[in-house]
Amino acid sequence: MTLYTYGIIDSSDQIKESIYGPEGSGVYNIPYCDIGVVVAELNEPVQNVSKSSVLAHEEVIERLMEHFTILPVKFHTVFDGRNSILSMMQSYYKHFKDNLNRLRDKVEFGIKVIWPADKIKKSIRNSRKKGEHEMPIPDGSLNKNFVRKKLEKYKINEEFEQKAYKFINVMDIFFSKFAAEKVLKKLKTENLLLDAAYLIDKDRQADFKKAFEHIKNAHTGFKFLFSGPWPPYNFVICRRKVSYLKIPNKKICLIK
Amino acid sequence: MHNVAIKSKEVTLLEVLDRVLNKGVVVSGDIVISVADVDLIYLGLKVLLSSVETMEQLRGSPFVGPMQEAT
Amino acid sequence: MTINSLVETDFPEEFIEEMGKTDDALPKKIDANPENVEKGLAKLVLTLIELIRKLLEKQAMRRVETGSLSEEEIERVGETLLKLENKMKELKQIFGLKDEELNLNLGPLGDLM
Repeated sequence: MTLYTYGIIDSSDQIKESIYGPEGSGVYNIPYCDIGVVVAELNEPVQNVSKSSVLAHEEVIERLMEHFTILPVKFHTVFDGRNSILSMMQSYYKHFKDNLNRLRDKVEFGIKVIWPADKIKKSIRNSRKKGEHEMPIPDGSLNKNFVRKKLEKYKINEEFEQKAYKFINVMDIFFSKFAAEKVLKKLKTENLLLDAAYLIDKDRQADFKKAFEHIKNAHTGFKFLFSGPWPPYNFVICRRKVSYLKIPNKKICLIK
Repeated sequence: MHNVAIKSKEVTLLEVLDRVLNKGVVVSGDIVISVADVDLIYLGLKVLLSSVETMEQLRGSPFVGPMQEAT
Repeated sequence: MTINSLVETDFPEEFIEEMGKTDDALPKKIDANPENVEKGLAKLVLTLIELIRKLLEKQAMRRVETGSLSEEEIERVGETLLKLENKMKELKQIFGLKDEELNLNLGPLGDLM
C-alpha cells in the first residue's frame, strides 16, 4: 500500500471532512507526536502528472488549509508504507515543528507586475541623446566602435534597472507593512518588473488587499496580478543536509 | 468575453503549477520509492546556481560551507 | 472549486506570455532520446556559457565606464568581446538555438542578465 503525500500539518487529529485522493480513497492524517502527515492510499505507485492531477492535488491542500497549518510536500511524494513515513517524521520532526510554528495562521499571496519596458527604454534613450556631450571613446576601429555601442547599451540598461528598483521599492514598502516575510524576484524578464510572494497574517488579509488596490490604482500603465491565499509554498525553509554513503549491497543514509 | 474566461483559467493553472511543481518540502531518502525524480535533478542544479545569493540573504554574510543536497 | 477564484488579473494573456518566457533553459526532463540528447545538452551548456559571457561583458563595461583603461586596452577589450559574441552566434546557429531559449531564470540573480 503506497502512500501519496500532501503535506505536514500541525495536528495529530483525524481529518473530519471527506476529502478524496488521486484514486478516490479518503485522505487521512498519520499522526506523529503533535503533528501529522496527510496522505491518501494508492494502488498504482506512479500517477500521471497532468493538469487535472495537479489541480486536484492543490484543491486538497486548499481544503486542508481551512483547518490546519500545512507544509506542502513536493508534488508526487510517495512512500512505500506507514513505517517509512514514521521513520521520515522521526528525522524531520524538529524541522517541521519549527516551520509550522513560524507559519501558523499565515497565508501566502502572490503579486506580479508588468511594466511598459519598451516605453521606459525609449524614454531613457531619448533623454540620453539630448544630454550627449561626452565621447569617452574616440571613433575609429571596429573594436572600439563595438565597445562604444556596448557601453551605450550598458548605460541604458543600468538606468533601466535603477528605475525598476525604484518602482519595486515603493511598492514593496507598501506591501511589507502587512507582511511577516517576503520573497521578491526583480526583473525576471524585462517586462515582468516584479514577481513577489508575501507571507501575511490571516487576519491582515483585507488590509493587504487594500494596500494592493492602492498601489494598483497609483500605477496606471502597469499591469497587475494578485493571487492567493496560498499555503506557504515560498516560505517553508529547507535547510536539511542529507548525504548518502553507498556500501556494496547496502545504502546508509546519514542525516545531519 | 469568452476568451478572457479561458485565459483566466490558463493563468490560474500556471500559478498553481508554478507552486505545486516547483515548491514544496523535499523529504527524500532511500525509503521513498517515487518522488518526481527528474525534478530533484532540476532542483539540484537550481540550488547550485542560485544558492550563493539565497545563502547570503539568509545568513547576512558570504556563503561558506557545504550546500544543501537533494538526492 | 476554490482554485478558480485564487487568481485575479485584468491581463491574463500578458502574464501568460511573460511566465512562458521565464521557463528555464535547464531541461525539466533529461530526454534520453538520442536525437534530442544533443540539443538538450547543448542548450544547457550554451546557457551557462552565455551567462558567463554576459557577466564578462558587463564587468568590462564597468571598467570602461570608469575611464581607467587606455586606448590600447579598450581596443583589446573590444576585440575579445567581439570575438566571443561572434563565436556564440556561431554556436547558437550550429545547434539551432535562439536567444530566448538560453534564458536562465535565476530568480534574484536574474537581474545580472
